Amino acid sequence: MYELLVAFCRWIQSTWWAQSILTSSWAFPYVQLTHFTGLSLWIGTNALLDLRILGVGKRRQTASQLSEALFVWNWIGFGIAVLGGFLLFSISATIYIKNPAFRIKLGVLIPLALLLHIVVQRKARAWDREDTPVAAKLAGLAELTLWFCVASAAVLIPYFFGPGDLP
Amino acid sequence: MLQHFFEQLQANSWIVAMNTSAWMSAVLEVVHYFSFFVVVGMIAIVDLRIMGVAGRKQSAAQLAEQAFPWIWTGLCFAVFSGFVMFAGQATEYLHNSIFHRKLLVILLATVFGAWVQHSVSKWDRPPGVPARAKIVAFVSLALWLGAILMGVDVPAITGVG
Repeated sequence: MYELLVAFCRWIQSTWWAQSILTSSWAFPYVQLTHFTGLSLWIGTNALLDLRILGVGKRRQTASQLSEALFVWNWIGFGIAVLGGFLLFSISATIYIKNPAFRIKLGVLIPLALLLHIVVQRKARAWDREDTPVAAKLAGLAELTLWFCVASAAVLIPYFFGPGDLP
Repeated sequence: MLQHFFEQLQANSWIVAMNTSAWMSAVLEVVHYFSFFVVVGMIAIVDLRIMGVAGRKQSAAQLAEQAFPWIWTGLCFAVFSGFVMFAGQATEYLHNSIFHRKLLVILLATVFGAWVQHSVSKWDRPPGVPARAKIVAFVSLALWLGAILMGVDVPAITGVG
């Protein structure tokens, strides 16, 4: 199974898109820009909704109004982040796949956080009462914390690079 | 003068302690990334709303009021964590032109952010958001994306981060 995964990573590194980023003198920062722009939209809109559900900060809009206003760009942000992340992965897939921080980030933290995000987004309307249910606040707090953990795992990836892993 | 000040800063025991501990550097990095995601993402959604391409059923002024306290909070965290990381290698950054440009772009973007916050309630009235406001919002968005681009170039060039 693991061999299959490594073979896949080798293949993805040999694809035309990975090779053209690797050989380009200017593309890499723009790929990073893509990933970070998407992440900003995603994290920014998620945090705005989670904090509103938690009831901290201004309350000019209800959670469901806010959720509705943010919905489209929330998922556009996710799409952009995934695209940028996929390209970043493509250029050094075989290095990432053996990195424990990356494995935890992609295999555990992101699926969990994403699942919780979908629950929060779908439930925002039902939770829209004067007294926000405790479960809702816990879900909002947990989502925010999980995305913070995702960012932490991402920052820790280079800390686990072995010799020769740096591009 | 500045060189001397930066040398002092770099030698400060707190700054040295925070930058030499692997855990502290990781924490600084996480705080820096996460808070700038919050800043850029929230500013972007307000700008996109003013430009008329996001959440048009809701009022731009209300969205801005909801977002701006968090934007400024996030900016404080990003600036603080950024400052500590900068201070650890202050004398190297003194001559790093990409870093200077990054600071300039962030300063401009902050001014545009404050402009949007100040004017959004005036813009958000019938018959609709004026074209001038949309230009301000667009420039604000472009500046923040520029700040990210400058930011990703800083570690790539100095070999830190």
